[in-house]
Amino acid sequence: MEIKIVRNILEKNELSADRVRHYCQERNIFLVNVMGSPGAGKTTFIRSLLPHLSFTASVIEGDIASTIDAKRIADDGYNVVQINTGGSCHLIADSVLQGLADLAPVSNSVVFVENIGNLVCPASFDLGQDIRVLISSVAEGDDKPYKYPTMFQCADMIILSKDDVRDVIGFDLEYYSQGIRSLGIKSPLFPVSFKTQAGLQALTAAFNYRAGEKFRCAE
Amino acid sequence: MHEFYVTQQIIAIACEEAGKQQAKTIDKIHLVVGELTGIIDESVRFYFPLLAENTIAAQADLIIKTVPAKLYCPVCAKHFNKTFDYACPNCSRKGVLTEQGREFYIESIEVDV
Repeated sequence: MEIKIVRNILEKNELSADRVRHYCQERNIFLVNVMGSPGAGKTTFIRSLLPHLSFTASVIEGDIASTIDAKRIADDGYNVVQINTGGSCHLIADSVLQGLADLAPVSNSVVFVENIGNLVCPASFDLGQDIRVLISSVAEGDDKPYKYPTMFQCADMIILSKDDVRDVIGFDLEYYSQGIRSLGIKSPLFPVSFKTQAGLQALTAAFNYRAGEKFRCAE
Repeated sequence: MHEFYVTQQIIAIACEEAGKQQAKTIDKIHLVVGELTGIIDESVRFYFPLLAENTIAAQADLIIKTVPAKLYCPVCAKHFNKTFDYACPNCSRKGVLTEQGREFYIESIEVDV
């Protein structure tokens, strides 16, 4: 006997993502899903932004193993919880719900969720975030938008990190930007060096504005 | 890599739907998977027997219909199958992605009641 179903395979995660959205809506929390390859600079992005934010902020750190990144953020003086997936290559919304319960962020604050370092899988999993930020480093090469389109397409902000070594790497910014445009992406691109801090001010201003939009809307 | 989680969900949904009909076993699971989802058939097939063991889906065949991604060329006003560099095969201009290729659902199951 054939049974017609037509059910989304990821429906369970999407229900949990809705619960995350509800949690964040009730407490007026701006939730940021930070994605990118291992070593792209996700933790560095968060640590660089934290001191310049106009709002209270805390962090949910996702890693396959270790508490290295959470310790760095705790040492910087910020509230942080670590999620270890034990092998899974992406966070799921249920993990974020648990992370939020453990973190207990204050109302009217920003929560960064650092996803697992991976340029494929996290794109498929809604975490209930307000925005997805993709950290894409110069060191990964200028062809990444062509090779990993889904990740670029789902990003609301694209950070081109390690921009201070663009010439050393031979990174073609025009080719890279063209790859992004060809995907029909309108999200802003921020070339930044977290090492020299070049570009950080513009990024911080844009981020504060974006987070502020949510808080202003709730007033 | 995320096929592990995905395969768990496929089995859960199939078993839930089969349970509603008091089915004894699931013989076939029909999936529709768009090219842009990045799901690798072989990985799902690798995980499936391991995860379906001791369920009524243990012996089920996976029938996976892959949907190619379509791009749209605004210059030629035509759709074309995705090329590596998104270039339109007619005019070489960059096309834009469309909804086709993002499908990701269980279409149906075949059960023995």
